Amino acid sequence: MLLQDIAKVIRSKNAGPRRLTLDVIFENDADYRRVLESGALNAGTVAKLYGMMPDEVAIIEYPLGRAIKIVLPRPIMAGDPGDRDVYGAQQHSPLLSIEI
Amino acid sequence: MRFLGASGQLGYGVPTPAFQAGLARNPHMIGCDMGSIDIGPHYLGSGQLATAPASTRRDLRKVLLGARQLDVPLVIGSAGSAGAAPHLQQTCDALRAIAKEEGLSFRLAIIHADMPRDVVKAAVKAGEVVPVDGMPDLTAYDIDAATHIVGQMGMSAMARALAADVDVVIAGRACDTAIFAGLATMAGFPTGLAVHMAKIIECASICCVPGGRDAILATLDRDGFELESMAPQRRATPTSVAAHSLYEQSDPFTVQEPEGRLDLSQATYTALDDRRTRVEGATWEDSVAPMVKIEGACSIGERAILMGGTADPRFIARHRQIFQELDDVVRDLVCEDGEQDYTLKWRFYGVDGVRMATAGEPQLPEEAFVMAECLAPTRERAAEVVRTAKQYLLHHGYPGRLSTGGNLAFPFTPPEVSIGPAYRFNVYHLMRAHDLDALFPVEVETV
Repeated sequence: MLLQDIAKVIRSKNAGPRRLTLDVIFENDADYRRVLESGALNAGTVAKLYGMMPDEVAIIEYPLGRAIKIVLPRPIMAGDPGDRDVYGAQQHSPLLSIEI
Repeated sequence: MRFLGASGQLGYGVPTPAFQAGLARNPHMIGCDMGSIDIGPHYLGSGQLATAPASTRRDLRKVLLGARQLDVPLVIGSAGSAGAAPHLQQTCDALRAIAKEEGLSFRLAIIHADMPRDVVKAAVKAGEVVPVDGMPDLTAYDIDAATHIVGQMGMSAMARALAADVDVVIAGRACDTAIFAGLATMAGFPTGLAVHMAKIIECASICCVPGGRDAILATLDRDGFELESMAPQRRATPTSVAAHSLYEQSDPFTVQEPEGRLDLSQATYTALDDRRTRVEGATWEDSVAPMVKIEGACSIGERAILMGGTADPRFIARHRQIFQELDDVVRDLVCEDGEQDYTLKWRFYGVDGVRMATAGEPQLPEEAFVMAECLAPTRERAAEVVRTAKQYLLHHGYPGRLSTGGNLAFPFTPPEVSIGPAYRFNVYHLMRAHDLDALFPVEVETV
C-alpha cells in the first residue's frame, strides 16, 4: 500500500524561508500507528527522495494530531534566484508513493 | 474573556456572516493578522502591499466598524503584508480615509517595527546577532543593502500600545501570537495559555474541519480556553486543533517568541461538543535574554520573463541542450565581447518546473510550458535579454528538428513581461534585544 492510500493529508509548506515542513496526517490512530510502526517513513528514505543527506532530515512524531512531521532544509531560500516554489506548498509529491 | 480572531490574512476577504456572528458574542477584542514572511521578499523589499488596495480597504472598514460598534480594541499585526514603515503608512492612510468617510473618531496606536541600521550594526559588532536556519553571518554590507529591515515584535509591544488607552492598534511586523497575547496577558491570564490561544486564533478558522477563513471565537479563563468557529459548518475538534500546531512550524511542541518560549508538550485538547474544543496545559518560560527575529530584503536587479509553450516531442526530449545552447546564443548577442551582466534561468513546466528535487529522470509530457526568467541591472537590460531569448528560441535549429515554422506557441503577444524590481531576503537573523520597548516605539494619535 502507498502512503497516499492511507494518509488523510500529505502537505508541504515553508517553516520560515529556509526550511520546508512536510506533514502527513492520518484519519485515525490505527492508520497513524501502522505507518509509524512500518518504519517506512524514515530519514534515509526521505533523504533519498529529496536528494539530501539523512542527517539533514528531521522526523517528528505528533500523536495528538495523528501526524508525522518531516522538516528539511530548502535547497534555495524562498524567493532567492532559482527558487521554484516561494511558499513551498508543492514539494509533497515525492512522499505520495512511499510503500508502506 | 472573549477574543475574536477575524482574519489570518486581512485584505483577502473577511466572510461577513461569521464576522457578524462573532460580534454578536460580544468579544472583548478583535484581532487580525495581515502579514507573513511566507509571501517572499518582494513586499518587504519594495514596500508594497500584497493585497489589492480595494480589498484591503473593504476588510479594514469591516473590522473597524465592528470594533467601534462594540467599543472594543481592534489589533492588527504585521500591517500591510510585511510591516515596515511604508506598509504601516499605507495601512494607516487607508484607515484614516475610512474613518473620515464613516465619521468615526478614535485613538490609534501605531507600533513601528523598523530596526535602525546603527542598532543592528552595533549588535553585529557585539556578537549579538545569530543566523537562523543556516543563513550566513550578517554583515554591515547586508544591513546597508537591505531596503527595509524589520523585527518581529512580541506581546509586550502590543500591551504597551493598549495601555495607552487606544481603540485601534496598527502594528508593524509582529509575531502572530502578539496580536491577542498582548491584551490577554495584560488582563492577568497565564502567559502559556494566552500565547497558545493566540497562536491558534490568529489563523481564524483554519484549526477547524473543514478549515476556513471565517472568524473564530476563543473564550479564555484561568485554566484554559474554548474554541468555536463562527461559521456553523466549521468544527473545532481536539484533533483538528492539535494538528494546527503543525502548520508552518518546524516543531509542533514549542514556539519561540521574543519574551519567552511556549511549551505545548503538556497541552490537552478536549471536545466540549462536536464543534467546540477546550484546550489546557500550555506552559511558558520567560526569556533570560530576549532575542528578536529580524528580516530584511535587498534589491537584486530587475526581473523580466518570457512565456511560451511547446507540443513538439523532439523539442521536449532535447529541452536541456536547447536551453544551454540558447544561453550561449543570447550571451553572444547581447554581451558581444563584454562580461555577462545578467542571469537567465529556464523553467520547463510539465517536466521539472515545480519540484525542488526529483529522484530519477522525469517522464516527458506531450505539452510543456517554458518560462525564462532574467535578472539584470536595469529594466531595459532585462527586457533586451528576454526579447532576444524569445526570438532565438522560437527559431533555434537543433538536430532532428522538423518544425521549422517556430519552436514555441504564444498564447498572446507580447510574450515577454517586465516584472519590475526583484528582491531577496538578505537578513533572517536573531538579534539580542536589550531594550524591547525602545526597538518597537508606540506612537498615538487621535483619528
